[in-house]
Amino acid sequence: MAKRLVVDPITRIEGHLKIEVEIENGKVVDAWSSGTMARGFEALLTGKDPRDAPYVTSRFCGVCYSVHQLASSRALDAAFGAKVPWGGNLIRNLVMGAEYIYDHVLHFYQLSALDYIDIMAVANYTGKDKGLLAVKDKIVGLVKEKDTYPFTPRYEPDEFSVKDPEMVTTAVKHYIDALKMHAKARDMGAIWGGRTPHYQNIIVGGVTSYPDINQVFRFRTMLDEQKKFVEEVYIPDVLAFGTGPLWPLAEMGLGGGHYNYLSYGDFQLDPGGKEMVFPAGVITGLNPADIKVARVDPEKITESVKYAWYKEEEPVHPYNGEQVFDLDKTNAYSFVKAPRYDGKPMEVGPLARMIVAGNPDVLGLVKKGAKPGAVARHAARAIETKLVVDACYTWLDQLLNEMTKPGFKIQDTDHWDPPDSGMGAGFSEPPRGALGHWIKVKDKKIENYQAIVPSTWNASPRDEKGVRGQYEESLIGTPVPDPKNPNNIVRIIRSFDPCLACAVHIIDPNTNEIRKFIIE
Amino acid sequence: MPELEGGEGISPQKIVILGVGNLLLSDEGVGVHVAHELMKLDLPPEVSVVEGGTDGFRLLNVITGADRVIVIDAVKGGADPGSIYRFDVKDVRNVPSGFRTSVHQIGILEVIDLSVLIGKTPRTTVIGVEPKSLEMSMELSPEVKEKIPRIIELVLEEVKRLF
Repeated sequence: MAKRLVVDPITRIEGHLKIEVEIENGKVVDAWSSGTMARGFEALLTGKDPRDAPYVTSRFCGVCYSVHQLASSRALDAAFGAKVPWGGNLIRNLVMGAEYIYDHVLHFYQLSALDYIDIMAVANYTGKDKGLLAVKDKIVGLVKEKDTYPFTPRYEPDEFSVKDPEMVTTAVKHYIDALKMHAKARDMGAIWGGRTPHYQNIIVGGVTSYPDINQVFRFRTMLDEQKKFVEEVYIPDVLAFGTGPLWPLAEMGLGGGHYNYLSYGDFQLDPGGKEMVFPAGVITGLNPADIKVARVDPEKITESVKYAWYKEEEPVHPYNGEQVFDLDKTNAYSFVKAPRYDGKPMEVGPLARMIVAGNPDVLGLVKKGAKPGAVARHAARAIETKLVVDACYTWLDQLLNEMTKPGFKIQDTDHWDPPDSGMGAGFSEPPRGALGHWIKVKDKKIENYQAIVPSTWNASPRDEKGVRGQYEESLIGTPVPDPKNPNNIVRIIRSFDPCLACAVHIIDPNTNEIRKFIIE
Repeated sequence: MPELEGGEGISPQKIVILGVGNLLLSDEGVGVHVAHELMKLDLPPEVSVVEGGTDGFRLLNVITGADRVIVIDAVKGGADPGSIYRFDVKDVRNVPSGFRTSVHQIGILEVIDLSVLIGKTPRTTVIGVEPKSLEMSMELSPEVKEKIPRIIELVLEEVKRLF
């Protein structure tokens, strides 16, 4: 007899997501992923000056503002016919590079690591390391004061949770170190973005302000510190966990899904884009022994709304997409639409990028027996962070070189004015995966605007053929021995780094007691 | 919770005025609207105004870099729209049933908790405004919009008290 289990909300993610599963004999037999917050900010853009789009879209999401600013600017580049000078591209890359370092480190330590450790094991640490003893004192102190956020509430640890006191205490120490590191990474982006949060330097045709040599050196100094953390702490931690206590989960392929992967490609290493940190490509039904990567054709992207709370329409290309809500629709269960490539659901993000790129480190783990899934996703994320760190050094050198050239440019000033009409798509690979913005311009104003964000691909509901989205498929077969503590479900979902934060941030105390603080 | 007492009458090194919220959801963005207005004013060099947006984690560097923080945000307490709240973050910890924005993402209060872990928690005062509308729009409701000058006054009074 199947039993229904609802996890709502999935915590420690960005945004609001509900997962519902059907469990039979201790395993998931069916799953539904629901984005429970309405989005559709695109409607705000209709009728506006197209140059407002990077500003407005950077408020879509409280988390990845620069990411939307970039994709939106690229859509405008295409619609305006602007050619971004190499100097402008380099600065765009450096802004996004800092974003990667920030996001991935935060995701592993703050949003995921607690899924895999029994935090209370810290109390059993008996070693002599001063740093670790300080961590033990801090955590034990917080427990005594009953002030254990962010470490609780939690599910009870299961057989896969790491309980070794030294390993757990080290992980918690790194959790705290990571907080410091990503606070610093924020400031790296601000070197180019002018401020943090909400950088403001990416516009159609390039970026807004010329770099000076001090900025380059400040960025490099901060990068040195991040590189050390990534190489000496982040990657070793992920590998120690992934190939150690979590190897059974890796071998089991927990959270695999459809094995379809999409990367739009990003991060040019030369002006022509011959060499990319992340090549573009699409893989359908991965066969690790014979990986076939096809070219990405953006015309094959459609969105289906059969199971989403939008007015029924046939699957359409994003240029023609609409957001008309229909909350009475039977069978609908999500505000997330169902994007498909050539009719198929896709996984986007670090694992997709690394498999499409044929990254030897990630494929090496697969060869050793790790099936692509939750654990491999964490490994891919750590490995690509290092690729981006290394690329940042290349871009800094290239930028210094560009700056010495006469006529050094950072923006295409000839294409600042909107065309009478036009259309354009902007693609990028921000940390969470493939992002696309599509704009149609008419009479110099925005006629239609659509964005498909990475988590829309991954968190998609069923499509018009009833085919599950990637989260849903990745949950099938998952062991849930204790429905009160569905550790494996949240491990899988969090391994994708969901971001549905479009993005309410109200202080909502769930009590009227707050009213005693009314002053007028 | 250990706290730096950037107290009354002492001039702290760094005061951050943080307007948070989402600009695309009408009154949810009141903090950002106020921050944009404050940016136009001539403020002492120790004071910086930050558009905080909606993700708390991304404010960790701002918060840990400050000695004193004044947050402007929408506060849903069920009072009349436009009502203004003022409280210190440490005072709301005693509110029954907790104060954390548990169902949403990491909010400003959670980040203040996290800042304890890396050793520095500035004293934080919230100037809150009861929203009327959270609909998708870049405009504030009239009830909240008419309070903007008063909110700015209150923030400036708050700053003045620190010098």
